[in-house]
Amino acid sequence: MSLEITLTVNGKTHTAALEPSTALVDFLRDTLGYKGVKLCCNTGECGACTIIMDGKPVNSCVVLGADAAGADLVTVEGIADGDALHPVQQAFIDTGAVQCGYCTPGFIVSLKALLDRTKNPTAEEVEEAISGNICRCTGYTKIYEAVDLAAKQMS
Amino acid sequence: MDYFEPKTVSEALSLLDQHGEQAEVIAGGTDVMVDIKYKDEPGCLVNIKRIPDLNAIRESNGGVHIGPLATIHELEESDIVRERLPLLWQAAHQFASLQIRNTATIGGNICRASPSGETLAPLLVLEAEAEVTFSDGARTEPFGAFFKGPGQTSLGSRGLLTGISVPFPAAGNHAVYLKHAVRGPMDIAMVGVAVMATANADKSALDDVRVGLGAVAPTPIRAPKTEALVSGKALDAALLKEAGACSASESSPITDQRSSGEYRGWIVDALTRRGLAQCWQALTGKEVA
Ligand SMILES: Cc1cc2nc3c(=O)[nH]c(=O)nc-3n(C[C@H](O)[C@H](O)[C@H](O)COP(=O)(O)OP(=O)(O)OC[C@H]3O[C@@H](n4cnc5c(N)ncnc54)[C@H](O)[C@@H]3O)c2cc1C
Ligand code: FES
Ligand code: FES
Repeated sequence: MSLEITLTVNGKTHTAALEPSTALVDFLRDTLGYKGVKLCCNTGECGACTIIMDGKPVNSCVVLGADAAGADLVTVEGIADGDALHPVQQAFIDTGAVQCGYCTPGFIVSLKALLDRTKNPTAEEVEEAISGNICRCTGYTKIYEAVDLAAKQMS
Repeated sequence: MDYFEPKTVSEALSLLDQHGEQAEVIAGGTDVMVDIKYKDEPGCLVNIKRIPDLNAIRESNGGVHIGPLATIHELEESDIVRERLPLLWQAAHQFASLQIRNTATIGGNICRASPSGETLAPLLVLEAEAEVTFSDGARTEPFGAFFKGPGQTSLGSRGLLTGISVPFPAAGNHAVYLKHAVRGPMDIAMVGVAVMATANADKSALDDVRVGLGAVAPTPIRAPKTEALVSGKALDAALLKEAGACSASESSPITDQRSSGEYRGWIVDALTRRGLAQCWQALTGKEVA
């Protein structure tokens, strides 16, 4: 059995078919080609597949693809404004918060969602926003520095 | 695999009747999606998320009505939950990551019936009731009767949880939810302890003490002997020690990959003492002497 759904990703409308058991991450990567959404643990533990769904960060590996019918999604590909990087993306470069880079799209999306909610997040709010994102390279210090820098630049 | 998106509760129930054991309900999907990937795919998936009005959180009949599709983050954001049901709010706040809290529903947490489910011991302590609906009618039942064993509830394969009613706890109560896990909120609880109490008029003793334990028995449980031991008494160091040991003796923890049963027993003891001491201090303004 196959379903057809219509959804918006980064402002663009797509209509495509999927198997009903498909996870949203697989639909976004394999059917629609949004490879910026990373697949890692596939069980909701690591945050690499984080996207913004109707304004809220979620792990697309534990969301049913069919639940995206009618939804408005933002992936890491939709965060820059044309060639101008989002301040949080630029801050990751400036502070050196990227090493292997596999976790980076998930962190960028979680942090963009945070900065959309609050302009000047407290240390506690930052910690909560990325508590579901794992980075095995950086040790997090530079990621925290990047959020501070981005928040300063945005205010 | 067949797939359905019923638009009403009765449509969902007739699908469950029709497909029996083959059918699996999916709400947020944070448990079901992992099962689909790593265990067996069900014969048919009944996605209840398109049923309107099942995610309401509102005041009703001296308490709070919670729709099963309310997400854990919606509980956390709800003023009435934060102000009137702080025990449930604390459990929601210590539940996984923000991403999971935005997806996971309270109904899914309850119907999964994992003994470690974060909201379950708080619901037992709050003496909440489940509204369970079958194709031949609905009934309410206390959560103490709803949980039958790990993954087992009185819903069987044909029922839906359609509402949760939580009475407002007594005025002036204090409540604490303590979770013990390796990675803090991100991990499933090794032990979860919910404690709620009030103080008597001259603040010399605790009243109506309630203790709920998660992850240390086949279902979440209350600890009635511990509650009786402490209720009506002033909490001193000797009573606190006795209460911790009593609570541990009321649990029957298993050994699994997360921890040994023996260790879980020590944690029940420690967290029961900590929860009671925090209630005593908040309610009387005194340290445990
Ligand atoms: C990374 C990760 C971390 C997690 N951390 C925690 C944690 O800290 N604490 C915790 O308690 N849990 C945790 N969980 C488990 C899970 O998120 C929760 O149990 C969650 O509340 C399940 O809700 P859901 O809506 O996603 O349920 P689903 O996966 O949709 O469903 C769960 C079960 O309930 C049934 N069901 C759902 N709704 C109904 C209904 N209304 N009527 C009848 N049956 C129904 C389904 O058939 C299924 O058997 C975690 C899961 C992941 C992936
Ligand atoms: S891949 Fe989804 S959380 Fe890890
Ligand atoms: S940069 Fe390698 S995991 Fe984060």
